[in-house]
Amino acid sequence: MRNIKTDPELKFLESRVLHHADIFKRTLPEMRFFILDQQEFSSLLMKNVYPVSPVNIWEGKEMVNTRHRIETGQESSLYYEVVQTGRPSYAYLNETNNAMTQASVMAHVVGHCEFSELNVMHDSNNDRTEWVIYLTGKVNMARNQMGHMNYQTFWNACESVKSLISPNSQFNLENSIDTETSMAKAETKSEEDKSLLDSIPFSSTLENILHKNKKSKEMLLKREQLRQAKSETLSRRGYKLRAPCQDILGFLREYSPTSQAEKHILEYMYAVNCTQDFVVRTQIMNEGWAMYWEKKIMTELFKEKACTGIVEYSKVASGVMYPRPYFQRNPYHLGYYMWEHIEELFKDGKVSLDYVEEIDQHKKNTWKKDSNIEPIDCMTHLVQSCTDYEFLRRFLTAELVEKFHLNRIDKRMAQQLGLKADDVVREDRRYVWIDPEPIKGEMLNFFVHLHRPRIYIVDVDYMDGGLLLFHRDDGRPLRKDWIKPTLKNINLIWKGSVCLLTKETLYTYTAGSFNELRAAAPTFDVVVERMQNGEKPFRAK
Amino acid sequence: MIDAGKNKLPTGLFAEDKINSNESEGAFNEFIDDKLKDLVENIINEGDLTSFGERDSDIIVETDDINPPRFSYGGGEGGEGGGKGSDGPGEGSERIRFSLPFDRLMELMAEKLRLPNLIKEGQGKIKEVSYEFKTFGTAGVILDKKRTFRRALKSNIGTGDYNPDEDKYDLLIRRKDRRYKLPERVEKPKFKAVCFYMGDISYSTYGERLELEKRIVGFIHNWLNYNYGKHNVEHRFFVHDSEAHEVMEDDFFKVTNAGGTRASIVFDLVSRVAFNEYDPETTNFYGFYFGDGELFSNDAEEIGEILNKDLFPIFNRIGIVEVKPSSISNLVERLRERYADDNVIRLDRVDNKKEIIKAIKNLFGEKQYA
Repeated sequence: MRNIKTDPELKFLESRVLHHADIFKRTLPEMRFFILDQQEFSSLLMKNVYPVSPVNIWEGKEMVNTRHRIETGQESSLYYEVVQTGRPSYAYLNETNNAMTQASVMAHVVGHCEFSELNVMHDSNNDRTEWVIYLTGKVNMARNQMGHMNYQTFWNACESVKSLISPNSQFNLENSIDTETSMAKAETKSEEDKSLLDSIPFSSTLENILHKNKKSKEMLLKREQLRQAKSETLSRRGYKLRAPCQDILGFLREYSPTSQAEKHILEYMYAVNCTQDFVVRTQIMNEGWAMYWEKKIMTELFKEKACTGIVEYSKVASGVMYPRPYFQRNPYHLGYYMWEHIEELFKDGKVSLDYVEEIDQHKKNTWKKDSNIEPIDCMTHLVQSCTDYEFLRRFLTAELVEKFHLNRIDKRMAQQLGLKADDVVREDRRYVWIDPEPIKGEMLNFFVHLHRPRIYIVDVDYMDGGLLLFHRDDGRPLRKDWIKPTLKNINLIWKGSVCLLTKETLYTYTAGSFNELRAAAPTFDVVVERMQNGEKPFRAK
Repeated sequence: MIDAGKNKLPTGLFAEDKINSNESEGAFNEFIDDKLKDLVENIINEGDLTSFGERDSDIIVETDDINPPRFSYGGGEGGEGGGKGSDGPGEGSERIRFSLPFDRLMELMAEKLRLPNLIKEGQGKIKEVSYEFKTFGTAGVILDKKRTFRRALKSNIGTGDYNPDEDKYDLLIRRKDRRYKLPERVEKPKFKAVCFYMGDISYSTYGERLELEKRIVGFIHNWLNYNYGKHNVEHRFFVHDSEAHEVMEDDFFKVTNAGGTRASIVFDLVSRVAFNEYDPETTNFYGFYFGDGELFSNDAEEIGEILNKDLFPIFNRIGIVEVKPSSISNLVERLRERYADDNVIRLDRVDNKKEIIKAIKNLFGEKQYA
C-alpha cells in the first residue's frame, strides 16, 4: 500500500481530476488516494473497505475462498474503485490498472464523495476510517483480555445481529427509546414550544372545541400514571422503550450488560456496518451520480489529453452500464441514465407546474422552455433532499422502464423464473419484454423491506428482563433452522432470555433451552399502539 | 453517525502498511481444522489418495459453506439441520472451495497415520549458509538509511538545527548518527535424499494394478518431498523384465513387456548407481520395489544378497511391495523369513486400494506389521 504521491503519473492525474471537479464547483471533502496490489485489494474488501480489522474467521473464510477463485480464474481481481467516504475520504486504486482506468476511478470517486457529503441521509462524518482503526486496536486489546475462545464466540454472536441495524429507520434508537437525556431535551423543547405559543394569539374557545376531553379526570389520571411509570422505569434502568426499535444492534451496543471488552466489539461492529443502510437506500442515485461526474471529468481529461484511451474507456463504461432487468437492477446503468434524463427535464423546463398542468399532448411532447435555473443546481438539490425511493417515485415512468430495458429479460432467465406466456408483451430471438407498468411499484417495494425481514425489539422486560423481538409479518416465513442459533447468539450478548414472535409462533431461548410455542401474534400496528399506551405489546397465554 | 470526537487517533496513518488478512485466514484455518481432519480420515478410510491432486501442489478442499446464523427468509425448514454451530456459525447450502497447502495436508496425514518424521542423516556435512541483516552497528558497509535518518533527526532536533517553528530545516548527518546493517551468518543443515523406484514391467501393469502402484508412488514422492524439501530429493525410476533400465518418471507407468522376470538385476543396477553417483556420507537413500512377486529360480536369494551386502549398509529405508499378488507370488514371502522385524527393509502386499494406507504405514511406520 503506497500513497499516490509515490507515483508521479497518477499524482498528476489526481491533480487534473480535482482541478476539473473544482471547475465544476463540486463540494468535496479531503480525498486521499492510495495504491494497492491485488492481494491488498481483496483483503480491503473483506474488511469493509477499512485498512485494518480485528481477527475473525469470516474474513479469513472469504479471503481463502476469494484467493482460490482468483487463482482458478473464476473471479477477476480487478476491482475498479473502492472508496470509504467521510472526512477525509480514502480511495484505493488497484496498481494493475492502467493510467486511464485510474483516472476514471478517481473521477468516479469524486461523485461518491460529493454524494456522501451532500445527501439527505448525512452519510459523511469526520474521521470515519481513523475511528475504525482506533476501534480495531480496542477490539484487539479486548481479544487479549477475553481470551481467544471467548472472543471468537462473542464475535460470532455479534455476526448474527450485524444485519439488524437500522440507524435511519423510522423506528431507530432515537425515535424508540426514552432516556433521561432525551427526556430532558424534550422538556426543554416543550418549554420552548410553550413560549412560542405564548407569543401567538390563543383562543381558549377553539382549544376547548378541539380537545374537549383533554381535561377530563380519567384522561388526566391515565396520563399521570403513564408519566409515573415512565419515570420509574427510567430511574431504574436508565432508558425506556416507547416504540418498537428496529436498530437492534444499536440497542444492544447501548444497553446490553456487556463488559468493556465486549462493548468494544459491538462498537466496532456498529461502526463498520452502520453505513450499509445509507448505501442500500441511495445506491441508484449514488452510483448514477458517480458515473455522471466520471463521464464529465473524463471527457475533460480526454479533451486536454491528460490521458489517452477514449475508445477503451467507452468500452469499459458501456460494460459497467449494461442494462439489466429491474430485479437485477444495475445501479450504474439506471442511476446514470436517470440523472441524464433528469438533466434534460430541467433543461427543457419540464419540472414545472405549467408542464404538469398542460393538457395538450403535442405541446407537452415539444415542450422546451428556458428557465433561469441551472439544471445541475436542481440535480444537486435532489441529492440533498431525497433517497432512491423518492428519486424513483418522482422520476421513473413506464416509458423510462421501457427505454432503460428494465422490463427486458433474457429468455433463458425467463424460463428459470417460470414466466408465463400471458406475462410476455413481446419477444425476439433473445429476449422477452414484460408489462412496464407495475415495475415501478415493484422497485419501490424493495425500499420497504430491503429484502430483509423486519425485526423489532418490542419489549425489554419480557419474561423477567428478557428481550422480545417481533417479526413484522409480510407473508414470508423466516428460515426456521437459523432461529435457534440466532436467538442463542443474541442471548449471549443480552445475557438474558430472548424471544422471537413471528407469525403464529413464539420462540424462546432462555437459560440454554429453546422452546417453540403457538401464539396469536398481534399485528405490528397493534403492537405500536399498545406500546404508546404504555401497555405490554404481547402477553403469552 | 459516529464521530471520532476527542479520541486520540493514530497519526502517520498508512505510511508503509500492508493490508492483509493473514491473521483472520489463520483463525479460519484453525476453525476448519476439524473438517480437514475429516477429509484426511476419509482419505485414510477409503484409501483414496487421489485427493492429493498434483504432486507437491496445494489441494483443493470443497466443503459446506459456513455462515453466521441470522434472521433471514426462505429455505431450511428442516428443523435442527443447519445452524447448529455452538459458537455461532451455521451451515449454509452453498459450497466453498479453497486451497490447502501441501505441507499442511502432509502434516495432517502424518498426524493421522502416526508416521514418524524420517531420520535425516548427513547433517553437518552440508550446510546451507545465508546471511541475515538483523543487527545494526556504527560501522559497516551497508548504510541503513532509515535508521540513520531517524537518529540524525533526533540529534538535529536536540541541537536545535532542525526546528520548523523557527523555519530551521537544516539536517546535518554526523558520523555518529550513521547506522549500518551488519550481516549475521546463519547456518542451517541441508539434507539431501535420493529415492529409487523400481518396477517390474513384465507383469500386466494396467487397470487397478497400475492405479495402486501410482498411488503408492505418489504418496512416497510427496512424503519424501515434505520431509526433505522439494528441491532436496531426487526421484529416479528403474524398470526391469529380464533386463534393467533407468526410465523417465512418465515412462515408469507406461512401459510394459511380456517376458521373463529377473528382479535382482534392478536391485543390482540401483546399488551400482547409488555407489557410483552419490556420496553415501551425505546422502539419504530410499528404494522401493513394486512388482507381482512372481519370480523364478533363485531370484529372491540374489535380491536378499544384494540387500544385505550393498543396500542395507547405506539405505535409510527399502520397501518391497507386491501389487495384486497371485497365488504363485513368492518374493515377499521368501524375504519375510529374513526381514520380518527389520527396521530398514519393509515388506508388504497390496491387493486393493483399501490396503494402500496399511502399506504406507508399513513402509514408513516405526515398526513393521505382519
